[in-house]
Amino acid sequence: MLKHLLPLGTRDEFGRQAQTKQQLISVIQAHFKRRGLTPIATPLLENQAVFEPYQMGNYQLYRLLGPDGQTLVLRPDLTLPVARFISATKVPLPQKFSYIGDIFRVSRRLSGSYNQMTQAGVELIGYASLKAELECLTIANQLSSELIDDAVEIELGDAQFAQQVVASVTSDAATQQAILTALFNKQIPQYQALIASYRQQPLYDFLVKWPRLFGQPQAIFEQLAQAPLPTCVTSTLNRLRQVVAWMQTTMPSQSVSIDLSSQAPQKYYTGLTFRGFSQVGGDYLFSGGRYDRLLTNFQAEAEPAVGMGINVDLLTSLAAPTEPAAPRQLIYFEPEQWATAEARLARTPNTSLSLAPTREQAELEAQRMGATLVDLTKGAEA
Amino acid sequence: MTERIKIALTKGRVEQQVLPLLERAGIDCSLVRNKQRRLIFNSKTQPYQFILAKGPDVTTFLERGAADIGIVGSDILVEHQSTQYELLDLGVGRCQFVLASTRTFDPFAPKRKIIGTKYPLITQRYFDQRGQDVEIIKIEGSVELAPLTGLADAIVDITETGTTLRENDLQIYDYLQPVSTRLVVNRMALKQHQTAIYQLVDQLAAVVNEPTSKERA
Repeated sequence: MLKHLLPLGTRDEFGRQAQTKQQLISVIQAHFKRRGLTPIATPLLENQAVFEPYQMGNYQLYRLLGPDGQTLVLRPDLTLPVARFISATKVPLPQKFSYIGDIFRVSRRLSGSYNQMTQAGVELIGYASLKAELECLTIANQLSSELIDDAVEIELGDAQFAQQVVASVTSDAATQQAILTALFNKQIPQYQALIASYRQQPLYDFLVKWPRLFGQPQAIFEQLAQAPLPTCVTSTLNRLRQVVAWMQTTMPSQSVSIDLSSQAPQKYYTGLTFRGFSQVGGDYLFSGGRYDRLLTNFQAEAEPAVGMGINVDLLTSLAAPTEPAAPRQLIYFEPEQWATAEARLARTPNTSLSLAPTREQAELEAQRMGATLVDLTKGAEA
Repeated sequence: MTERIKIALTKGRVEQQVLPLLERAGIDCSLVRNKQRRLIFNSKTQPYQFILAKGPDVTTFLERGAADIGIVGSDILVEHQSTQYELLDLGVGRCQFVLASTRTFDPFAPKRKIIGTKYPLITQRYFDQRGQDVEIIKIEGSVELAPLTGLADAIVDITETGTTLRENDLQIYDYLQPVSTRLVVNRMALKQHQTAIYQLVDQLAAVVNEPTSKERA
């Protein structure tokens, strides 16, 4: 009986949904090509050690035993395999890579989540300047306006800001971590209890408001200006101001916000972070940022890097409906008429060749497909 | 009307305790009050939709984005490893996780204990912290039966006053974490409906933090 059943958390894709996803992938690939990114494809299977720096959260890995007894995993992420590739091959840097592939993360059983997801992405490795972040933001802006009708908001953050602020409040590492966890997960009752002992600190008012420190840039910068923040965050905030100003000038119709109360997508992020969401999707459409120490998981030398992952499945579910298809046609013909049928197929959109051996079966096929049968055996116009 | 904020409310005791708070916060709950057998309600006057569901399902609705806000006990949030934002302790439904058993139970007996519970994750974490390996039996209904019938050596369960435990000749051996009803918000929903959700949270927080009549006196 099992042969008919899919493993939990997987699905087949077919018909309209598969078509939309393929179209979307084509658009993304064309976009990447137009920008001169080098495609890279890494294997679905990797050694588990590749993903040591990866935080799985509530997900788990699909693990397999390799032929030599080593633990292999279905990749849960596409950034670390690219880092592994660069470290192993010593390809000259800087390089701009792009990828589209499937990732696997085992979610809670029977939760309604799928464990296989398609992700597209960009890895700009060896670029230390802010231009790398700006190129990613440009791709995010252009692709989201190209692919979906809903307005997409790009939210900027920073991977270091929260750690820097908390370190100025307490030197106790365990307390720092407890505050950050409660802040990032917005466990407000717990967070309030944790910060209560810092009432006398000048930063206390900021700590109270911190979980709500996300929204329109102007309002956030005004709040930040009133807080006695440590000087070590000055360059972080200046960079944020610079990026916001650049976005407002370069992509004036792009909605932009700031979130300084959330965790970076992964622990290996080191600088500016960005995510995009629409008003209707249940998750982020894309997320990325700077991770200058990523390669140190594989080699001694660090390399500056910026990357971004795009949730292709969510984009597919939100993608604008494709243009109404031309009426579907099914061409019935004899084998000796193949060239004529092929010519008609080539010039008529939404047409398919009927491989039915008889006219009756071709009629049934056309009926099932909701198509018009064009019968070349009756001398229909070729 | 603007897009509705979907509020999943745990039906039963939580619903009874939270409806007065929502009403004092200015939320029209008349449809929920007169629910008959319906489970989903669109407010006629405010941009809210109420969904009545069992506690564990509230967390599922929230995780999947089928609800924007959930009102549910912290016991369920912890057990179901909720990853959503917990914005407010509503201060009702207060109770406590306890380790309980019969009078003859020896918590220090050198054996691998069998523990009955509705909360295997919380139980596992409790014993892990004590370096004890225990066998956990998941119980769906009256957990008190487990030690009384010999199914388990002890139970981990929540209790409000301890009355049910006492009436079943069970005694408390240890106190675990306290429990109360929380307002939880889907991560994306908070980004998408920031103003509307914080408005509701602030209204409710004002009610929750109102001094009681005893405090006023």
